[in-house]
Amino acid sequence: MTIDGMFMWALILLLFSATLTLIRLLAGPTIPDRAVALDSMTTTTAGAMVVYGVITRQAVFIDVALVYAVLSYIATLYIARYLVKKRVGIACECEGEGP
Amino acid sequence: MNFEELFWALQVMAGLGLLIAAIVAVRFKNLVSAVIAMAVFSLILSLEFYILQAPDVAIAEAGVGACLTTAMYLLAIKKTTDEEVIE
Repeated sequence: MTIDGMFMWALILLLFSATLTLIRLLAGPTIPDRAVALDSMTTTTAGAMVVYGVITRQAVFIDVALVYAVLSYIATLYIARYLVKKRVGIACECEGEGP
Repeated sequence: MNFEELFWALQVMAGLGLLIAAIVAVRFKNLVSAVIAMAVFSLILSLEFYILQAPDVAIAEAGVGACLTTAMYLLAIKKTTDEEVIE
């Protein structure tokens, strides 16, 4: 097996794990489950983008993965700020302060 | 496995993912869940542009879809009342 074949199998496994997190996102009962699934899926897809750039031997494709990683971090940050403000998914409210 | 088979397999997977994410983004009742499904749609669309050898369009789609659209929809939903948001 050549090096390119090994990278292709790594790309297929990365996209398979992204598909599994997509299933978790579709079936997740609560909103924090879906937010964590989105974050995991963006990270896995950024890794897949880097591996695809290695296969096609074009260094421009690495920049897309970098930009997408930073922007998905900002999107996850906004979702987390919203969940904290609306108090979604907070388990214990036993400190006497209401929502 | 040569490169052409991998290319077509990626095309089929990206198309199925786009269809699933679009249907789910329409049919979710919760607004935040629908916004997260829209983020997944823009992610797979950016991956599709990336596979079709257009990295600059993929960067633009990532900036608009992942950052601006999600942040603006969430800032808009934050202004609404609780009966629409909490499931």
